Order: sequence, then structure tokens, then C-alpha cells
Amino acid sequence: MNGSNAARGKQAVLYGILVLVLLWTLVPIFWMVLSSFKSSADLLSTTPKVIFTPSLEHYIALFATSNLWGYIQNSLLAAGISTVIAVVLGCLAGYGLSRSDFRGKHHVAFWIISTRMAPIAAVILPLFILFRYAGLLDTTAGLVIAYLTFNLPFAIWIMNAFFADLPPALEQAAMVDGATKFQAFWRVALPVTAPGIVTTAILCLVFSWNDYAFAVTFAGPDSQTLPIAAAQLNTQTGLNWGQLSAIGTIVVLPMMVVGLAVRRYLVAGLTLGAVKE
Amino acid sequence: MAATPAAENQSRRQPKNGGPRISLEMKMLLPVLFLLALLSLFPFLYIIFMSFNTVSMIGGISFDFAGLDNWTRMFTDEVVGAAWLRGILYFLATVGLELVLGIGMALLVHELVWGKNLALSLLLLPMFMAPVIVGLLGRFLTDGTYGLYAWFLNTTGVFQQDILGTPSSALLAVILMDVWEWTPLIMLIVLAGLSSVDQATLEAAKVDGAGYWQRLRHVVVPAVSGIVVVALLIRSMDAIRYFDVIFITTNGGPGNATKIIPIRLYETAFRFFDLGYAAAIGLGMLAFSILVANAFVAILKRRGLAR
Repeated sequence: MNGSNAARGKQAVLYGILVLVLLWTLVPIFWMVLSSFKSSADLLSTTPKVIFTPSLEHYIALFATSNLWGYIQNSLLAAGISTVIAVVLGCLAGYGLSRSDFRGKHHVAFWIISTRMAPIAAVILPLFILFRYAGLLDTTAGLVIAYLTFNLPFAIWIMNAFFADLPPALEQAAMVDGATKFQAFWRVALPVTAPGIVTTAILCLVFSWNDYAFAVTFAGPDSQTLPIAAAQLNTQTGLNWGQLSAIGTIVVLPMMVVGLAVRRYLVAGLTLGAVKE
Repeated sequence: MAATPAAENQSRRQPKNGGPRISLEMKMLLPVLFLLALLSLFPFLYIIFMSFNTVSMIGGISFDFAGLDNWTRMFTDEVVGAAWLRGILYFLATVGLELVLGIGMALLVHELVWGKNLALSLLLLPMFMAPVIVGLLGRFLTDGTYGLYAWFLNTTGVFQQDILGTPSSALLAVILMDVWEWTPLIMLIVLAGLSSVDQATLEAAKVDGAGYWQRLRHVVVPAVSGIVVVALLIRSMDAIRYFDVIFITTNGGPGNATKIIPIRLYETAFRFFDLGYAAAIGLGMLAFSILVANAFVAILKRRGLAR
């Protein structure tokens, strides 16, 4: 029996399965991007076309017929501002939580995490009435607050996990050298945790950029975000698959890029610190 | 920087003189927790208040105290009961499939010799997509006239009806859309567990003549089972949270075929404007998600990660 032949055979089978799995994963994405560059005639062919002359028709139409720049701006503002607030406050509170010990700490921790897990449909309900009283419907500020309901507890919890990983000896050494407690946090703990902070920020950004349920309930003409614009293309009388593919591509590509940029830290971030690589 | 050893001592020890002093940690923590309380506890108390009222939106918002009406109604409402059952079925099917496929994919990627990083990056792509785009893309692919997947199923003769318009296939389709997006997450988490399996033990088992399946069963499974449970709970919590895919594809239809509980809640609130009743349903969902969160924290504690 030839061991290396058996190993090679096993690898061939593995890569065969891998190709199937990759097809399952990538065909829809590939098809969306491809369709966004097809002319309407090619798109509406009843047999799917893979070879065609690329056209920017749908992108041009999107920018010409809708306020796409406005939607992009609304999305960036709502997601960006809530991310910045969540990460700054998450660093402060996460550090405070990881370095303190008080009675009932686990109750506080449980409250924080259960806030993050509350079903969106149930959260929307009271916020809708409260926002209506406060005049926050159809404002970017309202969306920022809505996104903070999940981004803030997420950032506190995950930064707590990242800081808890840091040996307190580092900060103690700085304090022996004369740094105050805050300086030890600011100049030692924070820089060392930089990858964790970036991961937290990117995940907050992805969660809020990708939101549909909050935005469709709270946003109006002045605060409409990209996912809402995409959904509206689909409910108009003629279903415009070309423009839909184009806007879909615009929504998903930036998040794929930033998401993969922190791939090494994704496991820690997405498991809320329960698993670390 | 003025270095005073005395200051170091003082900052580390509890002050023995004077009144209670708030430590820096508390100063960093408490204001943020106060803000979180505003964001979460206040709406939480408010939804409880709503659930005991008939909330009307006509001509401004008005509340009429209704006692336990909404609650008794919820426990006798057959449509809501069916939506709960369908929701649990949807939840078990998506999370179950994602778990099985995700573990399979993790085992596959873990064994790859070359191109492992590239394969992993490509396989992760769906989970960065906005769920609403996944739903819209799903509609595109299953469209009876122009959809790639509909064309494929039609040409091969596997399925020739309207995919999202037929009750049984619609439910399966929305389940598969969720599975497509979130299986990579399970794969990623399980893969992290597989990489942490002790190589020396694996080698020893190999030397002792244990085959792949034996090593898997006796070395790998015990080592990664904890992480698999974490993956399961993380995915479960988000599966309860989100309803975007169904919301944008079938919105509960055809008939009630895909009407899971969050969809029923949303239409009760924002189509029938029965907000008090929706509040009671929402609290029911919240109770369910708190049960899952409890399990998650219990697991974390056992793994020594939450104190």
C-alpha cells in the first residue's frame, strides 16, 4: 500500500467537496455582482447568460433616478455615529467592568448581555411610541439611538472580554513607574487592546449598516438608509432586478472588505469573547 | 510625569479615612450603565406598561387600561399559537442545519493543505451581507421568470412551481436563505475550536493506530464540544432576534406558511395597529430569548469566562 498515494487521494476528495461548498456559497454573490453589470436585455433573457458585454446602465440609473448619495450619507451617518459612541463608551465601561469586583457583578453582566439579545421586533415596539413622543421618527438621531440599543451592550461586553484577557501586571508596572490609574488605562491597556477595539468597531458598523427592521420602521424620507432604498426598488410595480443587483452590490461589498480585514479577531468578536483563537 | 511611590500605594488601596470614594473603575462604568439603562430598561418598563393597555394610534396616541385582556387573549389566540409553533420549527430547522453543515465545513477546511486561508475568507462572505439583501437576492434567484435557481430547478425537473408562492417550498426556501448566510459563522467558531485541539494528543493517538474517525470521536469531539455549544447558543440568539429575510421575501405568506412569531408581532403592531396586544406578544418573545441568554451565561461561567 502506498501511503502518499492514499494521502493524495484523500486530498483530491477534500478539494472536490470544497469546490461544491464554494459553489454553494459564492454563486449567489457572484450572480448578483454579474447581474448588476448586465444590460437589461441580457438580464431579462429567460436562459441565464454568463457571457455578455458589461454595462454600467443600472448603476447610472440608480444614481440618476434616486437620491442614492443621500441614502449612502444617511447610512454612513447612522451607522458611523452609533459605532463611534458605542466603541468609546464600550472601552470605558468594559475596562471599568473588567477591573472591578463588586457584589452582583454577574447580574450586571447578565443584564448587559440580555439587552444585546432582545428580539428586534420586541425592542422596536416601545421605541416607536417613545420616538413618536420625542419627535425622533424620521431622524438620523433616532436611528443612532436605535442602533445603540444593540451596539452599546455589545461593545461593553466584548471590550470587557478583551480587557479581561490583559494581565493586570502590565498596568501595575506602569503605575509603579508613576502613572496614574487612568494613564495606565490610556497609555497601556488601550494601545495593547487596539486590535480588539478595531474589531469591535467594525462589527458595530456591520450590524448597524446592515439593519433593515429598525430603519424601515423609524426612518422616513429624510433619514432613509441604503437597505430601505434596496427594499423599495423591489416593491415598486416593475421589479427592477438590475438596479436591485447594483444596490445590493453597493451595500454588501464594503462590509465584506472591512469584515475580512479583521478576520483573525472575528471569532472572539462574534462569540462575545467566549472563544478566543 | 512626577513619580511618587506614595501615590501608587494610595491608588491601589481602599482609602481608610474620609467618606466613601468612588474608584476610577466605577467612574468609567456607572455613567455608561446609566445610559444603557435609559436605552434598555426604560423601553422594557414601557412595553410592560403597554401590554396592560389598549393602545390606539388614531389621532395621537392614547392608552386605555385593559387589565389582563391582552395577556388572556394571547394565550387563547390560535393564530399566535401557530406562529409560535412555526417560529420554533423555523428556529430548530435553521439552527440545526447550520450546526450540521457548519461542523462539516469546519472539518473540511481544517484538513486543507493549501489555500486554507483563501478558502476560509471566501466561505465567510455571506455572513457580512445585510440579511435584507440576502432576502432580496433570494427572491431574484427564485423568481419564476428570471431566477437562476428557479431556472435550474425547472430545467432539471426537480421543482417547477413558483418557489416562494407555494407554501411548502416557501418555508424551505426562507430556511435555506438563512442557512446560506449563517452556516459560515458556525464553521468559523468550530474551526477555532479545532485549531485549539492539542496536537501532541492527536499525534499520540495516530501513533497508537487510531483512524480519522476514532481520533475525531475520542480526541477532537471532547475537546471542541464546549465551543460547539457556544456556537449553537450564539446562533440561536440571533435566529430569535432577526426576521429580515422572511420580512422581505414572503412577509409571512403564502397564506401563513412562513408567519413566524416576530412577523406576527410586527404585523399586529404596524399593520393592525394593535400595539398593546403586540406588546404582550413581544414580552413573550423576550422571555424566550432571556432563557437562551441564561443558558449562554451559564456556559460562559463553566468555561471560566464570566465572573
